[in-house]
Amino acid sequence: MFVLPPPPRYPTGYPGAPGAGQLIETNNTLTHPTGPEYQLVVGEGTYVLKDDLHLATPPPHPSEAPVHNPNPLATAISPPSAGTKLSIVILAPRLPSYSRLYRLDTSASTRSQVPPSIQESPHETNSQTSDSGSHSANGITPTPREGAAPAFGAENPSLAVLNSKDSKDPLKKRKPKSNIVKSNSSFVSRVIPHEGLSKRLQEHSPNGLFAFANVNRALQWLDLSSPTKEEHLTKILFTKAHALCHDVNQLTKGPNHIDIIMGFSTGDIIWYEPMSQKYARLNKNGAINGSAVTDIRWLPNSENLFLAAHTDGSLIVYDKEKEDAPFVAEDHASNGETPPEKKASLAVKKSVNSRNQKANPVSYWKVSNSKINAFAFSPNCRHIAVVSEDGSFRIIDFLKEELLHQFMSYYGGMICVCWSPDGRYIVTGGQDDLVSIWSLEDSMLVARCQGHNSWVTAVQFDPWRCDERNYRIGSVGEDCRLLLWDFSVGMLHRPRAASVRQRNSITSGTIKMQRSRTDGSTTRLRSNSNLTSGSLLDEEEIVHPVEPRARTAMLPPVMAKSVDEHPLCWLGFEEDCIITSCNNGECKIFFLAGASSFWQWGCGSDDKLILAAKLGRRNSRLMWYQIRWPLLSR
Amino acid sequence: MTSFFGRLKSGTGPTSPASSAPPTKKDPNAPQLTPLEKLLADAGPTRGDGSDKFFGFENFGSTCYCNSIVQCLYYSVPFREQVINFPSRSPPEALERPTSGTLPRLNTDLQPTANGQNSALSPKGRVSMSSPSTASPRKPVTTPGGSLAPQPPKPEDNKDSPEYKKKQALAAGPVLNMDYENSNAYGMSESLFSALKDIFEAVIAHRSHMGVVSPHKFLEILRRENEMFRTPMHQDAHEFLNLLLNQVVENVEQFSKSRVKEVGDSDAEGLTVDSGAVVPDRNSTNVNNTGWVHELFEGTLTSETRCLTCENVSQRDEAFLDLSVDLEQHSSVTSCLRKFSEEEMLCERNKFHCDNCGGLQEAEKRMKIKRLPKILALHLKRFKYTEDLQRLQKLFHRVVYPYYLRLFNTTDDAEDPDRLYELYAVVVHIGGGPYHGHYISIIKTQDRGWLLFDDEMVEPVDKAYVRRFFGGLNELACAYVLFYQETTEEAMQRELEAEGLAAEKQVTEVSTEPISVTTPKANGHTNGHPLMHATTPTVEKDEQFASLNHAATAPAIPTTEHNALDHITTSIPILGSRKSNLASKKEKSEKAKEEKERKAQEKELEKQAKQKRKEVEMQRRENYRKQEEELRLALEASRTTANEESKRRKETGGGAELEKETEKPNGLGSIGSKSGLSRFRHTSMSLKHKPKFWPGHKDKHEESEHDAPSTPSADTDTSSTPFATPDRGEKEKKHRFSLGRKKSTFHL
Repeated sequence: MFVLPPPPRYPTGYPGAPGAGQLIETNNTLTHPTGPEYQLVVGEGTYVLKDDLHLATPPPHPSEAPVHNPNPLATAISPPSAGTKLSIVILAPRLPSYSRLYRLDTSASTRSQVPPSIQESPHETNSQTSDSGSHSANGITPTPREGAAPAFGAENPSLAVLNSKDSKDPLKKRKPKSNIVKSNSSFVSRVIPHEGLSKRLQEHSPNGLFAFANVNRALQWLDLSSPTKEEHLTKILFTKAHALCHDVNQLTKGPNHIDIIMGFSTGDIIWYEPMSQKYARLNKNGAINGSAVTDIRWLPNSENLFLAAHTDGSLIVYDKEKEDAPFVAEDHASNGETPPEKKASLAVKKSVNSRNQKANPVSYWKVSNSKINAFAFSPNCRHIAVVSEDGSFRIIDFLKEELLHQFMSYYGGMICVCWSPDGRYIVTGGQDDLVSIWSLEDSMLVARCQGHNSWVTAVQFDPWRCDERNYRIGSVGEDCRLLLWDFSVGMLHRPRAASVRQRNSITSGTIKMQRSRTDGSTTRLRSNSNLTSGSLLDEEEIVHPVEPRARTAMLPPVMAKSVDEHPLCWLGFEEDCIITSCNNGECKIFFLAGASSFWQWGCGSDDKLILAAKLGRRNSRLMWYQIRWPLLSR
Repeated sequence: MTSFFGRLKSGTGPTSPASSAPPTKKDPNAPQLTPLEKLLADAGPTRGDGSDKFFGFENFGSTCYCNSIVQCLYYSVPFREQVINFPSRSPPEALERPTSGTLPRLNTDLQPTANGQNSALSPKGRVSMSSPSTASPRKPVTTPGGSLAPQPPKPEDNKDSPEYKKKQALAAGPVLNMDYENSNAYGMSESLFSALKDIFEAVIAHRSHMGVVSPHKFLEILRRENEMFRTPMHQDAHEFLNLLLNQVVENVEQFSKSRVKEVGDSDAEGLTVDSGAVVPDRNSTNVNNTGWVHELFEGTLTSETRCLTCENVSQRDEAFLDLSVDLEQHSSVTSCLRKFSEEEMLCERNKFHCDNCGGLQEAEKRMKIKRLPKILALHLKRFKYTEDLQRLQKLFHRVVYPYYLRLFNTTDDAEDPDRLYELYAVVVHIGGGPYHGHYISIIKTQDRGWLLFDDEMVEPVDKAYVRRFFGGLNELACAYVLFYQETTEEAMQRELEAEGLAAEKQVTEVSTEPISVTTPKANGHTNGHPLMHATTPTVEKDEQFASLNHAATAPAIPTTEHNALDHITTSIPILGSRKSNLASKKEKSEKAKEEKERKAQEKELEKQAKQKRKEVEMQRRENYRKQEEELRLALEASRTTANEESKRRKETGGGAELEKETEKPNGLGSIGSKSGLSRFRHTSMSLKHKPKFWPGHKDKHEESEHDAPSTPSADTDTSSTPFATPDRGEKEKKHRFSLGRKKSTFHL
C-alpha cells in the first residue's frame, strides 16, 4: 500500500473553481446535432432536436470582486439564482390551442366543466384574437368565458376609475417611461441591442417565435424563428440582480408592442417594452416587499395587473402603471369584517377591494411563511394554484381572495405547477421526484407519476395533444431528462391497491391496513362521523392529508429521455415543437418530424418496446394507439 | 461570572492592547462574539438532557472522521438518551475524575482569570484538565493548519478561515480532556461504548453550553482494537460509523450477558422482553433492554429471488443498520434508494442456486425494505473502485436530498410504508479523493436550528446551507452520510411554521436595525471566555446577532416609522371620499340590500354544491372503508391459512429453517417479543464476526452494473408464495450491518 503525503485539509484552489470562470463576454452558440440520441420517439411521431442554442453566461459585474480560493464551507448566504427560463410570444393573433382541442364533440361530453367551443360565439372570438395565440411559460392561454369569471377587482370602483382612463384610446398602448439604453440607473449595467434590430424585426414573421430568456444576470431577447437565432435582438445586463422569472402579456402584445415583466432576486420588478426599449422599475429596492420574486405572471385578461410571488410567502398584485408606496398591512376591522382565525386560510393583508388604490400594491396576500416556488392561473381565470417550498399546494380563488384547498406533497417541497387546458386537472412536480395529478372537481389526488430520477423542476400540459379525455403532460427535472406522460380519464381512479387486491395474497393485502399515524389518516376517518358538524369540518375540507402510496394510482411515462448534461429547469410546448432549457443556459428545440408512418416502432422510457399505430386522423388530430411490451418478460 | 466581552465593557478586566478601546468593527483585535456565542446569548441554565450543548471535538490529525460521526450520534436524540441511560445514568459525582478529586468542570471555571489577557488569541490559553501524570498524546494545538505547507499568508491569520476559528475555539475552551474512563463506575469493562458514554456524560454534565472535547481515550480504544484506524491517515467516516454502531451493540450485549450470569436465571426471563419504548425512564436502570441500537438503526431488508426456470420465489430477510446506495450523476436520494431495490438479474457467472428445481439457474433478485428503521442512515457511495486506475476514486455526482423523505422501496407487507423521515444530520466529505480530505457534519439541533460542526469549531448556519453539498462539477464538498429520523406530519408542520415565523421575525429585526447592512457576517473572533454567564444575556448581543447573521440577504428596508407616516398620508383620501359620499348613502344602503340578497342566494347555491361534494366525499370514504373491511377479512382468512401452513411446516421442517419461518408472520404485525429477540440475537451473533470482513473484503460480482429493466409499476406480485423455502443456496453471504449491494470496497 502506498502512502500519499497528507494533503491540505482545505484544498486551496483547483481547476475550474467557481469564480475562476470566464471573465469576458462571450456570444451565444448554435449547433445542430444529429443522431438517434437526439430524437424523442413518441406515439405521434418522432421529435428531432433541430437547434441546440447555448446562451452565454455573462461574466460577473466588475464591481463584484471575483472570489479566489473559495472556502467550500463558507457560511455566507448567496443570493438566490435561477436557471434559464423562457417566455415565448407569437405576435400574430392566433386561435388558442384548445380551440382545436374541443373540436371533438364536446356537447356529447357529460362533463359540465368543458368550456363551449370558441367558434360558437363569434363575438367572443373577436375579443380573443387579441389575447390568444401563443401561451407563455404557463403553456395555456387564458380565455375569458361568458359569465365565467369577472375581471379581477371589477367590483372595486377605485380600481375601475383608474382603469377606465387607459381604455380611452384602446389602440394606443401605454409604454413605460424611461429608456433602458440611455438609462443611468445603477440597477441596469448595460444594454446591447443588435445592430440590425429594426431590420430583423421587419423580417420577423408575425407567426414566428420571440423568446425572452434569463441567463445569470442577463436577459436576452431572441428570435427563435430566425436562422441566426443565436444572435440576440437585445441583451440587457443587470448590475447585481438576477432575473428569476418573467412573463409576456398576451393581451397587449402587438406588432409594435410587447409588455414583459421580470422579477428579480433583489425583489425589484421591471416592466420592459422591448420594441421601444422603454422600462419602468417597481418595488424599487424592495419598497413593498424586500424578498426575491420567484414567479411572476400577468393577470389573465388584464393589461396592467400582474401577480408576483415572493420568497417570504407573499403573493402581491401590482399595477404596472402605479408608483410604489411603502406597504402597511391594512386593518380588517375598519372594513367591518374580521377574518375568521383559521389555521388554514389566506391572510389578506390588502384586499383588492380596498379603496386605497392610489399606489402599488393593488392587493397583498400572505399565503404561507415559506418560499413560494411557482404559481399558475386556471384557464377560467378564477383560481390560482400555488406551490411552496414547505411542500404545500394551495388552490386559491383570487377573485374572492379565499383559500379553497390545501394539499401536501408526498414529501419535500413542491417546485412547479400547471393547469390542464380545460382547468379540470392540476399537475405539480417536486422534491419527491413525482409528478402528481390533482382533480379540482373531486379535490383529490388522482395519480402520481413516477419516472424521474431527481426533483421535478417543470411540468407542462401539451395543449395540442390534449382532448377532453386524454391528456399529454411533459415534465423535466434535475435528472436532465424530459419525460412525457399520457393519461386519460378512464385510466384514472384506479388505485394500484385495487389491482393488487385481486391477487388475494397475504403480503400484498396488508398495505391498506397499515394506515399510519404519519399520513394523518386518522383525521380523515374521523371526519366520517363529523360530516354534519360545524366549522371544524370546513377546516378539514380545506386541508387535505397526504394520500398513502398504496391508495393512489401510479403512472409510468410514455417517453423518457436524457436531453441535456445539466439539470433542466423549464419546458414549453409549441404546436410543432418541444423546447427545454437548463440551468446553465442551454436551450433545446425538438421539432416533430413529419407525420409518423402507419406503424411505428420505438423504444420507450422503461425499456419497453413500443408499437404505435396510427388509427387515422379525426378532425385534424392524429389518433394513434400504442402497444407496449417490456423487453424482458416479467 | 462575566464574559471576557463583558469585562471589557465594564473595564474591570485585565488590560490587553485591544481592550482599552471599545470594540469597533474596524479594530481587528477587538473581541467579538462568535456566531455560536451570539446564538446562545439567551440560553438559560443547561438542561439535563444535553440538547443545549454544543461542543466541538479536537482533531488529533485526521480524526475528523471520528469527530463528525460522534457529533451526529450525539444529536441523534434517542441514541444519546440510550447511551447516557445504559446501564444507568451516572450521578454527577461519578463524573469526577478518579485521580483528581475535583469535578472537571470546576477547573474550567477558574480558567479565564488564570489565563487573563492572552486567552483570546493564544492557544496556550486552553485548560488542560488532564492530571499531570497523564502525558497527552496530542500535539500542541497547531493541528488544523499544521499539515499545510507554510504559505505567505497563513490560513490561520485570516480571521474568517476555519483554521483561525478552530484555534480560537480551543483557546476559548473549556476543553474537556477525555483521557480518563469511568467504565468501572458503569460496571463495564473499558470499551468504545464506555468511552462514548464518558464523552456524552461529561459534555452533558458540564456547566457551559459550548466548549471543546478532546476524545483521547475514545481514540485510544478505537486504535487499540482496530488495526485499520491505527494509522494517522484519512479514514472513511461511514466505515467508522459502522464499526462504532456494531461495537456499541457488542459492548452492550456483552455487558448484559455478564450481568445475567451474575444475577442468575431469574432475570433471564426479563431479558427476552423487548421493550418497545425508545425512551426509557430517565433514572431507571435498563439493563434488560440491550437491543436499543437495533431498535433505533436497524431495519429489515427482504431479498426476493425469483428463479426464472421454475418461477419459484424465495425470500430471505436481512437486518441492516444503514443503507449504502450507489450514486448516479444528477439523481436524488429517492432515486438512489429506488435503484437499490430495482430488480437485478442473476445470470452467467452469478447464477442462483434454486432449491426448487435444483442447480444454478437464472434468477431475478430484488431487495426491498420490510421493516423501516427509526433512524435511517444513508451512505452515499462516493468512493468507487475504478478498474483502470486500480484505486478508489471519488464520485462528484450531483445527488440531491430533500429535507423530508419517504421510502418507495418497501415491501407490500411493510408496516407503515408511508413513514415520514426528516433529515437531521449530514456528514460532508471535502476533498478531491478518498485518501485525503476532511469531514465535517451539519446537524439540526433541537431548538437552535442547523449547526456546522467542523472539528473544534461549531457555527450556526442557515437552513439553506444544508443544500450546498449536493455535489456536482467543481464541488469539492459533497454529502457522504445522511441521517434521517422518523417524524410525523404534525411535527413537520409545526416545524415549518416555526421556521417561517423565525424568518419573518428576523426580517423585521433587520429592518429595524440600520447598521446591519454594513456589518460583515461572522468575523471569526472569539472572546476570551465561553458563554458561561448564560443567565445574564445582554441586549446588544441579541441585536448584533440578528443583524450580523442576515447582513448578506436583506437590503435596508425603511424602518417602521416611515411606514407609519405613509400610512397616515395614504389614508386621507379614504376619509375624504367617505364624506362626499354621505349624500348617496341611502341609495347605497338599498343597493347593499340587494347585493346582500343576491349574495345570500349565491351562498345558498354554494352551500348546496358543498353539500353535494360532501356527499360524494362521504360516499368515497364509505367505499374506502368497505374496501378496507373486505380486505381485512380476506387478510384474516389468509393469515389463518398461513398459520396453519406454517404449523404444518414446523412439524416437518427442522432447526434453522424453522426459526426463519416463524419470524415471517411476525413481521406483518406488531413485533412479537420472542421473535424480536431472536432477530436481535441472530444478527448480533453475526455482527461479532464482523471485523473479519473489514480489511480487504470485496464482493466481486457487485461491481457489475445491473441492467434489469426499470419497473415503475412494481405491483407484480412475486411474493404470492410467501412461505417459500429460504434460499440457502445464495452464495454470497453479506454482513448484516451494512447492506450495500455494491459496497464500494473502501479499505486502506
